[in-house]
Amino acid sequence: MSTLAHQQQLLLEALFAWPAGYAIKNIAIEIDDTGVRGLKAYQANGHALAHSALQAAYPVVAQLMGDESFADLARALWHAQPPTRGDIAQWGGGLPGFLESSAQLQDEPYLPDVARVEWALHRCAGALDAEPDLATFGLLTTHEPAQVQMRLAPGCAVVRSAWPAASIVGAHLEGSPSLQEAGAQLRRGEAQDAVVWRAGLRPRVRLALDGEHDALQALLQGKSLADVLDTAPALDFGLWLPLAVQSGLVLGVTPIDAASNPAQN
Amino acid sequence: MPRPVSETSRNPVGDLASADRVGIGWRHLHYAELLERQPSLAFLEVHTENFFAPGGAALAVLEQGRAHYPISLHGVGLSLGSAVGLDVWHLDQLASLVQRIEPVRVSDHACFARGVLQGKPVHAADLLPIPFSTEALDVLCAHVNQVQDRLQRVFMVENLSAYLRWKAPSTPSEPERVWLETEFLITLARRTGCQLLVDVNNIYVNALNARMRFGDLADPLQSCRDWLDAIPAEVVGELHLAGHCYVSDAHGDIVIDDHGSRVCDPVWDVYRHAIARFGAVPTLIEWDTDVPALDVLLDEADRARSHLLASVQAQERSA
Repeated sequence: MSTLAHQQQLLLEALFAWPAGYAIKNIAIEIDDTGVRGLKAYQANGHALAHSALQAAYPVVAQLMGDESFADLARALWHAQPPTRGDIAQWGGGLPGFLESSAQLQDEPYLPDVARVEWALHRCAGALDAEPDLATFGLLTTHEPAQVQMRLAPGCAVVRSAWPAASIVGAHLEGSPSLQEAGAQLRRGEAQDAVVWRAGLRPRVRLALDGEHDALQALLQGKSLADVLDTAPALDFGLWLPLAVQSGLVLGVTPIDAASNPAQN
Repeated sequence: MPRPVSETSRNPVGDLASADRVGIGWRHLHYAELLERQPSLAFLEVHTENFFAPGGAALAVLEQGRAHYPISLHGVGLSLGSAVGLDVWHLDQLASLVQRIEPVRVSDHACFARGVLQGKPVHAADLLPIPFSTEALDVLCAHVNQVQDRLQRVFMVENLSAYLRWKAPSTPSEPERVWLETEFLITLARRTGCQLLVDVNNIYVNALNARMRFGDLADPLQSCRDWLDAIPAEVVGELHLAGHCYVSDAHGDIVIDDHGSRVCDPVWDVYRHAIARFGAVPTLIEWDTDVPALDVLLDEADRARSHLLASVQAQERSA
């Protein structure tokens, strides 16, 4: 290892090791820094950034946990799963699994799924833009269901939960349902599927309709409309489609190119 | 030795058509207000990584801003001084954004953040200091060349406010050469053809910390003037101004470049020295912590503009 690589590794170890005692002793040999004051400044900056970045991605989890606990959580995740990219918005996707494995949070078993919905919203916010093309819905009258696919909104995702994760996030971010109703659903242990998508530039979340989770999973896998309907018999397609188009969840219909999609045949 | 970069195949660092050279950092709090008011500014600076997503509201806002102002893309995550190399993903996102926005200038810092810990890549999401060693200079030059080759334009590299100093590593035979920061940066610019983004506040913060923490006896203001006097004007592409704060806690005293207050009087003094030396260089007012009302930033921009104007007039009189 080169001198430069060695120096940089020591500094990174001192910043990410937790507790950092031995790593700070190692780096102290390499730097002029009275009382490692500068190192503490970098550590504090990292912790503050972890808190703000995680709060931006998980505002509902932050609110549910309270600021102090959430700051502790952000710090713990920072050290357990450091960022790997120079864009801090990419960091934090491991929070749901981290919450799940936390012994201290076993009394809040719904938090990981709330975090999953929030991460889907976070990713959805920056997904590639796409415009609706309403004229393409005419293909539904000229093509067989096996010959068409449906084009979904940017960032579309579905999250299956044993908890009312959709209601909890919706109540905090969109005011619907009410916090009281979401709380009642939580006490009843209501399972919910959440649908996440972007309507124009606005990330949205709502409770999935019957069969919608399976239908959207199939659509996300690029399956034909015929396969989607087979996969999700519980979905009332006639009720769902106008709602999905009106809300910007479905943007259009595309014919399946048999040559490029042999799996559809 | 990294090869010199050919200037012929690149667009030059963007110049501003108007005599007004002052811009502000455009942050989330002011997205809508600035688009509505459209105050007179030479350019808007944004943090590059905040617009890496391929779509969505942030990018749409930047597209709107671009319709009214030149945009300066200022990165914080490229990690140009990293011994493990540049992140190709990061460079791809940067290249894509540059192509889309066609910024007036593109910049990042003379620092590192990337490395490998326990076999996994990590990024400290901070501007960590690199030693002013020959090895670090070679690495920095190679990476700046890589960026400029990819972007096909001149890049700008900013001097750092550093909160620790690397000791000079020594071999059994002889100590390794430690460059002065100014020598280091000038050599970087000469070897690669990049330009320097001189952060005036960073120089002052470093001078204060040198006195407060490392026992440097020099007058901070004079240290800053000496620093600027060592830099040739032709390599300077932009100046940055910001506020800093003093922190005193159980760990000791330190000055932090927090971009959270108005530019202090000594930094304005250093700025006047900089523009007297470098000319009417594009100047940015940065404010990233506790971002105030837009009018406060515009007021700071007015102050920088008045200093620039006075400097230009003084130079015309002396000519």
